[in-house]
Amino acid sequence: MRYAFVLMFFASTALAAGETVEITPPTAVSPQDGLAAWSRIYEVTSHPRCANCHVGADNRPMWSGPSYGRTRPHGMNINAGESRIGAEYVPCSTCHALRETGANDAHHMAPQVAMNWQLAPVDAEWFGKSSVEICQQLRDPEHNGGRDHLALARHLDHDLILHWAWAPGGGREPAPYGLQDHVNDVLAWGVAGFPCPDD
Amino acid sequence: MKFTVNGTEQNVDVEDDMPLLWVLREELGITGPKYGCGIAQCGACTVHLDGVAVRSCQVPASSLDGSAVTTIEGLGTPESLHAVQAAWVQHQVAQCGYCQSGQIMQAASLLETNPAPTDEDIDFVMAGNLCRCGTYPRIRAAIHSAAKALNKG
Repeated sequence: MRYAFVLMFFASTALAAGETVEITPPTAVSPQDGLAAWSRIYEVTSHPRCANCHVGADNRPMWSGPSYGRTRPHGMNINAGESRIGAEYVPCSTCHALRETGANDAHHMAPQVAMNWQLAPVDAEWFGKSSVEICQQLRDPEHNGGRDHLALARHLDHDLILHWAWAPGGGREPAPYGLQDHVNDVLAWGVAGFPCPDD
Repeated sequence: MKFTVNGTEQNVDVEDDMPLLWVLREELGITGPKYGCGIAQCGACTVHLDGVAVRSCQVPASSLDGSAVTTIEGLGTPESLHAVQAAWVQHQVAQCGYCQSGQIMQAASLLETNPAPTDEDIDFVMAGNLCRCGTYPRIRAAIHSAAKALNKG
């Protein structure tokens, strides 16, 4: 199954064409710096803008984070089904319409991007997972779509829905750091040999 | 942009970000789809876009070119009701009626993909269509009746 770091929601016309990302891996990274990079990566992966759609086999996206009040499943009894796009019940696109120009940054509006909305694959369940759990999952080609660090970086570059996490609009808290910073951390973590906290 | 509504070709000149609901109601005078919230929280504006239920308040006009829109006006006719519409009458579902065109369009879409939905299936699909009168038990019963009618052919 294709691995997708699918993140929730969108805004900002600046995202229509996506942010320009440079993929320039460092030549060498110490294990210590690699672990520091992982620590920042975990801040991103565990952030509500990412984790809310990286949910498990119950196929229920979450609403969590400062702009949502209490943590709870996505309203409207949404179940994205095994398709992870809602094909069995209500498609994500019923509200999260594909919008080439990007829009919907008003409070409580369904975010939209220039890409089909979807949940991440079950293999990429992050919601409520620890740093160690996500680290081991993300470095394992069996669970990350067979990607190395360069492929992970390209994935972050190509899939515009991921860019939304850093410009979510609608009063939502963006993921920490920035898209380029996150790509740089993924590259550094990979060059360091994908160290995890429990190694 | 050019598209069809209930089988009739339409050509409208509107801002790209005008929601489909506004195009239907304000530009074309098709008022079956209702404005409830404008932010995809209530379902009153539900129509079919290329056969799939969508919240028309969320669909930008810029995405309409070449598409086919069906509203409650095009789902059936008074002489030949869609099975969901007939079941709505049979069960006297509507109370104030404001949400009902959205409910019916969502229910019709449900039965296109799931011809024999369980109560749980119905709740998953219909929970995004709010009814302030609380007609939910009748909505569920009508969907079961419509499913049976459609399956009889």
